[in-house]
Amino acid sequence: MRVFWTVVARELVRFIRSWQLVLVVLYAFTMEVYIAGSGIELKPRNVAIGYVDESGGGLSQKLLHYFHEPEFLPPVAFNSQTALSQAVFDKEIVLGLIFDEDFEQDFRKNKHATLNVLLDATAASQAYTTLSYLSNIVLNFSDTAFSVELVTHKLFNENANNATFMALTELLSITTMLSVILTAVVFVKEKEDGTWDIMLLMPVNAKSIILAKSFSQVIIVMIGIVISVGFVVFGAFDTPIHGSFFAFLVLAFLYAFTGAGIGLFVAAIAKDVMQVAQLSVVIMLPLIFLSGAWTPIYAMHPWLQTLSLLSPLRYFIEGTESIFFRGTPVLELYPYFLGVFGVGSILYLIGFRKIGHLF
Amino acid sequence: MRLEVRDVSVFHKNRLGIAHANFEANEGEIIGFIGADGAGKSSLIHAIAGVIACQGEIVFDHHTYRSCKEAEPLKARIGLMPQGIGLVLYDLLTVDEHLRFFADIHDLRRDDAFEAYKMRLLQMAGLEKFKDRQAGKLSGGMMQKLSLICTLLHRPKLLVLDEPTTGVDPLSRIELWEILEEIRRSEGTICLISTAYMQEAAKMDKILLFDEQKIIAQGTSAELLKTVESLCYDPDTPCVEPCIRTLQTLYTLSPLEATSTQTPTLEALFFVNALRNGKTMPPIVLSDKKKSDFEGDVLMDAKGLTKRFGTFVANDNVDICLKKGEILGLLGANGAGKTTFIKMLLGLYPIDRGELRLLGKTIETPQDRQALKASIGYVSQHFALYNDMSVQENLLYFASMRGLSSETANERIKRYAQELGFENYLNALPPELPLGINQRFSLASALLHEPVILFLDEPTSGVDAIARAQFWELLKCLKEKWKIAILITTHYMSEAEFCDRVVLMRQGTKIADDTIEGFYAKHPKARNFEEIFLEYFR
Repeated sequence: MRVFWTVVARELVRFIRSWQLVLVVLYAFTMEVYIAGSGIELKPRNVAIGYVDESGGGLSQKLLHYFHEPEFLPPVAFNSQTALSQAVFDKEIVLGLIFDEDFEQDFRKNKHATLNVLLDATAASQAYTTLSYLSNIVLNFSDTAFSVELVTHKLFNENANNATFMALTELLSITTMLSVILTAVVFVKEKEDGTWDIMLLMPVNAKSIILAKSFSQVIIVMIGIVISVGFVVFGAFDTPIHGSFFAFLVLAFLYAFTGAGIGLFVAAIAKDVMQVAQLSVVIMLPLIFLSGAWTPIYAMHPWLQTLSLLSPLRYFIEGTESIFFRGTPVLELYPYFLGVFGVGSILYLIGFRKIGHLF
Repeated sequence: MRLEVRDVSVFHKNRLGIAHANFEANEGEIIGFIGADGAGKSSLIHAIAGVIACQGEIVFDHHTYRSCKEAEPLKARIGLMPQGIGLVLYDLLTVDEHLRFFADIHDLRRDDAFEAYKMRLLQMAGLEKFKDRQAGKLSGGMMQKLSLICTLLHRPKLLVLDEPTTGVDPLSRIELWEILEEIRRSEGTICLISTAYMQEAAKMDKILLFDEQKIIAQGTSAELLKTVESLCYDPDTPCVEPCIRTLQTLYTLSPLEATSTQTPTLEALFFVNALRNGKTMPPIVLSDKKKSDFEGDVLMDAKGLTKRFGTFVANDNVDICLKKGEILGLLGANGAGKTTFIKMLLGLYPIDRGELRLLGKTIETPQDRQALKASIGYVSQHFALYNDMSVQENLLYFASMRGLSSETANERIKRYAQELGFENYLNALPPELPLGINQRFSLASALLHEPVILFLDEPTSGVDAIARAQFWELLKCLKEKWKIAILITTHYMSEAEFCDRVVLMRQGTKIADDTIEGFYAKHPKARNFEEIFLEYFR
């Protein structure tokens, strides 16, 4: 037991001494999470609009009036359709509107007018949300016979605030990344520095060294999670938590050990820190893809949905969402705990055995 | 064609590399740079090769330069081989691909003359049979020869080699020198070579001696030896004045009235220089130790040890035994299987065949090893230490892993620090320390648990002459006082003379095993151990 704590203390001291690493970890857990929360915006914002108005004004100007900040920049007038197309091509304009000569006439007479829209669809999801804004604005003008009004009740994330969700997901991805890489690096550093042999020659049980080394990195990740949740998730984004914070910590702890297990596996194969970086990316990307962090699981191909059961991150994300947004009671969280614990202990055991062979 | 170095100083940021260096070299001359690690040899070499900027001026072939840019027009006529084995090579390229690659980056036309020259180089290096072998699969000596011929491919008129022979076995060293001799004769190339081997320096036309960022002496080998001729005495000569006493020689500042049987070597220059700077070697005093529990006489007995890596046999049927209070030297070329053998003894590699008895117990399972780990000490090739912890923390950590109580640990660390003379460095980080100090403190870490067997894998490579002399004195003390058995590998043939018994290895097999006296009796003509060694490998 003394050896265990000696190794843990040693690894923590080494971590704190390498201030570059401390900075990277702090950055990942704070700024990176903050940027993901505040920076990724799916709603239109500062969209540049250009228009060609051959209809003589009136209705067209009234319509343009609805495009205002912060979603849209003030509309810019163009003399010809060619000039507008060119502007769209040059990325000066994202949304181009063309009001034909007969636009207003058609609208007044036939109640059926056509508005041509040029849309730069490079950033597809932004473009489509812009388009839906446009349809809404146009819809307000038309008298439809079909009059159903939608009254929406937003559940769990009442402000439909994208930031809290994105920040939390990013935090979980960062937890994955750091628990894998930090653990792997701790072992591979020894290979690089040639201290591996010295470590092997100590009259110490290999199991306690492996456990102690991975445990020390789990501690670092846990501290990072607490800082991140405190300063960014609660502090900057003011995310409400409806469930038990303690349950979240336990889940995160289990998950960090899962990551450490993958790290052990990587460390057993990699020869130097460079290879750790390469291997970790190859192993982690599928885990994150399949977890529902970027695409909801119900939107995946059925095969991938089944595969996603293997990603421990899936249980971690779903569990965390339930704790934060839904406020699921602790006892009902058991599927997520079981999931993380089950997949996690298999992965940790594989990693543990793989690196144990080298001892 | 002539090289002049006038008042050259090099700074690495704020740290001085070399100060006020002056020397000249003529066509076809070999100039040797000798001196300890960090004495400034590499700094001057890089400045002359035109890869770092310097103050002062360097004139080669009527062209003056002091920065990389000014040296650019000369690059086609300069060849540089940096320090470190295989540093300019690519593991996955074959020998032939290397030559073609280096020809292409120098923009050489691959005509008949080029092909003929390439073949000549390959033959000189003895690599013509290995044209299709990947560089990563060559031995250390072959890698250095390949690096050298790659550097020679564009027929440089100024050849700058930074420690080309460090860590290379004596045989490959001789072959490297043969290539250089041939090239300077046929091409008139000026060769600047830094080396840690004093015997090599004796073959050079002129020697520059480096110490603490200065050139402290220059001249031919004979001229330099003359200055210390009257300062070397037999080790048992009495002396009250400041002096340094090593296992072989006593060095003084002024002549004594004693007779001497010593022929001075260039190493003497370093000892005398250290004396002039007011340094002496503190005598090593080891405290007594309680007797070990193990009563037998043979501590290690290996019979028919065999290790294979795929189809390659690294060790074939090696029998070696090690007795109490004995220093056993394990010598052989690079890739002869010395390190593999030690790693097998330590259990870092599984034994494929054969029987190993350590302290009277046959080793069969990992559990057998676990029990013995407490009786074995090991210092690896590169003094593997944790670079982000201070010396003291390193030692405390090792002690704690060894299960020593913190009182015992602190007491022993204090004692070793005094006895091995690294007291002043306890709070420094290993990378900041001279290699000689790191070497002693790795030895301390291997001694913390008071082992009865020590395995040392090239502990003296790259360490300066004075530190090496001290190290050997220490080993002798350990042997005599504590009756520790020591197995050591080294590339310095002069060090073989300090061993009680020497085992020679070639291509994974043992080819000779005898006491030093036994070797000299079998080869009465040999003047030193290097000559005996070469007898076996020629």
